[in-house]
Amino acid sequence: MNNQMELTFSALAQNEAFARMVISAFLVQVNPTLSIISEVRTAVSEAVTNAIVHAYGEQGGRVVLRAELDEDKVVIEVEDFGRGIANIEKAMQPFYTSQPDEERTGMGFSLMQSFMDDVKVVSAPGSGTLVTMKKRVQEHDAD
Amino acid sequence: MLKIKKNGHILVVRLTGEVDHYASLQMRKEIEEQLKDRAVDRLVLDFSDVTFMDSSGVGMIIGRYKTMTARGGQVTACGLHPPVDRLFHMAGLHRIIDVEPSGRQG
Repeated sequence: MNNQMELTFSALAQNEAFARMVISAFLVQVNPTLSIISEVRTAVSEAVTNAIVHAYGEQGGRVVLRAELDEDKVVIEVEDFGRGIANIEKAMQPFYTSQPDEERTGMGFSLMQSFMDDVKVVSAPGSGTLVTMKKRVQEHDAD
Repeated sequence: MLKIKKNGHILVVRLTGEVDHYASLQMRKEIEEQLKDRAVDRLVLDFSDVTFMDSSGVGMIIGRYKTMTARGGQVTACGLHPPVDRLFHMAGLHRIIDVEPSGRQG
């Protein structure tokens, strides 16, 4: 079974909960555990918040959430068309934040990496950011 | 989003729902408003009704911890459900904030 979804929404903080709700609802069809749902929701929340806070800031813009289910695996993309990241390696360092005064912890990418099986970031200044995360969302019996 | 109760020098804040970036901005504002009362030297954060939290929530907690320690006060957290407790550990919050096993405080 291969199933895809794509959602575009405004880069507004009140849409963070909406994005989490959508990814949870999409994954229900493969009956994942509550723990897996919780991890995916957190990872998506972090990626979407990054897009809203860092990519656009006050100016606003569009965020795209895509997901593709292929048997027991999900591939999730969160894309923005904002300012981009100049140094991805630095941005992904645990507890690094460009906005310490705004009470940002710099834990976003660390949590994505902890909760998903694989995280890739493609970005360049001025051309937005694409975060691709993969995770096995269904436990198989060993037989 | 918040149920706030003040008992003398103790401010008890019961957080409800999802503590994400959006909610944290509102919570930060409301709690700081209450902390203008300089007599408050203990802040109790009750997470019993929290259904989701991400790193924005962690940032909001660290911010309030800074406010309280700057005045020689302390922060206590209680009612952590497993996903919130996991985040507390990952962020190292257990090292700076007293965590009560469960139940209401104050």
